[in-house]
Amino acid sequence: MAKFLVMPKLGLTMTEGNIANWRKVEGDSVTMGEIIFDVETDKITKEFESPGEGIIRKILVSEGTVEVLKPIAIIGKADEDISALLAEAEKAVASPVASATKPDAPEPPKAEQAPVKPATGGRVKASARTKKIAAELKIDITQVTGTGPQGAITEKDVNEFAEKAKTAQPKISPTAGVIAAGLGVDPGQINKDGRIMKADVLAFKQNADFLKYADPQEFTKPMSAMRKIIASRMSASQETAATVNYNQRVDTTAMKQLREELKSTAKITYTDILVKILSRVLLEFPLLNSAIVGTDIVTRNYVNIGVAVALPDGLIVPVVKFANKLDLGAISTEIKALAEKARNNELETDEITGGTFTLTNIGMFGMESFTPIINQPEVAILGINTIIDTPMVVEGQVVIKPMMNLSLTADHRVVDGSVAAQFVARLKELIEKPGLLLL
Amino acid sequence: MKIVIIGGGPGGYVAAIRAAHLGAEVTLIENKFLGGTCLNVGCIPTKVLLHTTELLDVLKNDAKELGITVSGYEADWKTLQKRKTKIIKKLVGGVKALLKNNTITQIMGTGVFLNDHQIKVTYNNNQDEISKDEEVIDFDFAIIATGSKPVIPPIPGSVHPDVITSDAALSLEAVPESLCIIGGGVIGCEFATIYNAFGCKVTIIEMLPDIVATMDRDIVKPLKDKLIKDGVEIFTRTKVESIKEGPDGLAVTTSSQAGEKIVTAQKVLLSVGRKPELSTLELEKAGIKTERGAIKVNQKMQTNKPHIYAVGDCNGGVMLAHVASAQGIFAVETIVGIRSQIDFKTIPYCVYTKPELAGVGLTEAEAREAGYDVKVGNFPMAVNGKAMIIGETTGLVKYVTDAATGEILGLHMAGPRATDLIVEGALAIRLEATVAELKSTIHAHPTVGESLMEAAHAVNGEAIHLMR
Repeated sequence: MAKFLVMPKLGLTMTEGNIANWRKVEGDSVTMGEIIFDVETDKITKEFESPGEGIIRKILVSEGTVEVLKPIAIIGKADEDISALLAEAEKAVASPVASATKPDAPEPPKAEQAPVKPATGGRVKASARTKKIAAELKIDITQVTGTGPQGAITEKDVNEFAEKAKTAQPKISPTAGVIAAGLGVDPGQINKDGRIMKADVLAFKQNADFLKYADPQEFTKPMSAMRKIIASRMSASQETAATVNYNQRVDTTAMKQLREELKSTAKITYTDILVKILSRVLLEFPLLNSAIVGTDIVTRNYVNIGVAVALPDGLIVPVVKFANKLDLGAISTEIKALAEKARNNELETDEITGGTFTLTNIGMFGMESFTPIINQPEVAILGINTIIDTPMVVEGQVVIKPMMNLSLTADHRVVDGSVAAQFVARLKELIEKPGLLLL
Repeated sequence: MKIVIIGGGPGGYVAAIRAAHLGAEVTLIENKFLGGTCLNVGCIPTKVLLHTTELLDVLKNDAKELGITVSGYEADWKTLQKRKTKIIKKLVGGVKALLKNNTITQIMGTGVFLNDHQIKVTYNNNQDEISKDEEVIDFDFAIIATGSKPVIPPIPGSVHPDVITSDAALSLEAVPESLCIIGGGVIGCEFATIYNAFGCKVTIIEMLPDIVATMDRDIVKPLKDKLIKDGVEIFTRTKVESIKEGPDGLAVTTSSQAGEKIVTAQKVLLSVGRKPELSTLELEKAGIKTERGAIKVNQKMQTNKPHIYAVGDCNGGVMLAHVASAQGIFAVETIVGIRSQIDFKTIPYCVYTKPELAGVGLTEAEAREAGYDVKVGNFPMAVNGKAMIIGETTGLVKYVTDAATGEILGLHMAGPRATDLIVEGALAIRLEATVAELKSTIHAHPTVGESLMEAAHAVNGEAIHLMR
């Protein structure tokens, strides 16, 4: 029996979803569990799996946003009567949230309208005098466009045509002319003030050939829901915050050692250790853990640290809640679980909201320094970079140390330079002497 | 804008005049003679001698046929030397007057760079009207145009009062009985022609496979034939091992595949080439770089110091007066911001021998080397009416063209007034003319120049005045 495929409700808070990337067209058959299209929400992208077997009889919404549980397509047997469903769908789809039509594509350029020309060989509408002038000017009058009554060719038309023909003829050296003809290059296309020489023709042809070979194309597709959100949040953040960037090099010898020591017991990452350290230090520097609400500054007695996770099509920031109350093991477990959920599009809304500070690590790509953008409504974000063995001077001796840059971006509206600097200095202290965490 | 130009030859003085046209404040420093090598010991004096040589050749070989019986004429070297000096004096005076007319400050002295914005000039002693000895001149731009000097090859015995270069060869007191010329290039062949006509026994020794190696083989052949016919001995693929004083003059020991041979001559002329004259400049103080003994310049004639230019022989390019002048004008125009250009394809090469040789653009061999599908049009002087009238039927006109487009790639001539007629080829190349334009341009009759039109027809085997 034919039935609707409807917009799935992927989370408790989901009200609508965006349809993208259809794998099937009308008339295709699908099997149970086969992926038909993608559903995107502001949080996740999920592949829509077929709930049964059959033929895609009708695609009701090919692209755009649809409310949850509203029909998207009709699936059924090849010869089934689906008119009842279609009628029902018409009512339902009559008012989709967003227009389900294709995004406006630029109209294909219309071929330039050729000027109306009297057919060659036909009777030319022109006075005898005009024809005589044309003959004197050695002009093929049939090529002239008439502007007189009923398209008649006037003397003025002929004179203008002659003038145009004169200027249209580019000056070209004889050799260049021969080469242009041989290569099929229209010298009129060559943009040069002076006389067109051989080199100009060859350069034009070379460029034309290169363009053909390079075959430049641009591809336009609508932003995914996640991309739209990233775009609007990032630009809004840049407009809102008065950002200052701070960079500090830290020695990671002790942190590395700590990780090694714990290895046999628990697989702890640098991110885990840094979240642990941050959850301590942020309480010591409440302004970096604050939010601006109107003209009030809100500080907290807790720390919720967002940890940015890269996804194939964007990024998401799950939040380690109340990290200040979690030990390193718990933090590690939590981050692993959240990252796994993020990669599987399984994060719930409350798992990606409520952060008070964000940590972003792109050290795995070898980055040495960057200027992260604050995740609003927070006031600071810490960027983690790669660790590089660096010659350092210790007590007058050059020693190789595994050094790493901390890249802090802080909002100067609440975080002054001295505060930020002291915050970073304290981070450095704890990173270099993690034993202090025990105190 | 203060422009200092060092060197008053065809590169420097032409640049000075052009700079004055364009409103610059110009100082020209020359340490020897205005007009440089070209006017004083190069192009001009050699051509004065060669003109008389040409007339002597007519008297000797053609007069009778032309209906003139001449008896008791004499080749008078001393008078000719005076004429040469007179012409040089007049031309140098002309240059001086032109510079003055253009309110260019002329300094006879030697310029030395102090740094990249100052030159110190030490005045020549004979400048009695100037009381000071030296002066420091500040400049915004400088153009170096110090020219070149003959190369003295490292041959044992090459330093000897009777081993001379072109400078001395122009003004020998008397014509020697015999002359051995080392280097059969343009200069060597011109001096061979001069001294041979004045009754001197001339021998040319050339290391390369042929004389005048830079020009098209087909036009060099008539010259070689004529030199040999006139009694000049030519040894090609021959190396000079040493020069020694012998009982009958200088003994020049040569070696070739045929073995060793000794050429005895009263004088030996070294004409193996020229090299940039940079010895007095102290370029390093201005931080100007050189490469293989020449000032390094880019396509705009700029040295590594963008406000200092080097034009003419001193930059080690094509060592010809007309190239130096073109570069001088180009450098000045570049300085003042005019977008000009030099088309180096249009440089004519001329040899003022009999027959005269001239070439512009690619030789047939060069065109083939460059990968063109070459088509050649030859027309012999022997069938040109005017050439017959003036009794100079030796030589030919040769167009080298691109078969694909008809483009003129080169023109090469041997024959009467070839050096004057070559300009047609230069212009054709400059304007990218094809064979069609040269064929359809009406050439005056009867002229030697007609042969150029005929050679253009001959490219497609359609010369009117040649048997098919």
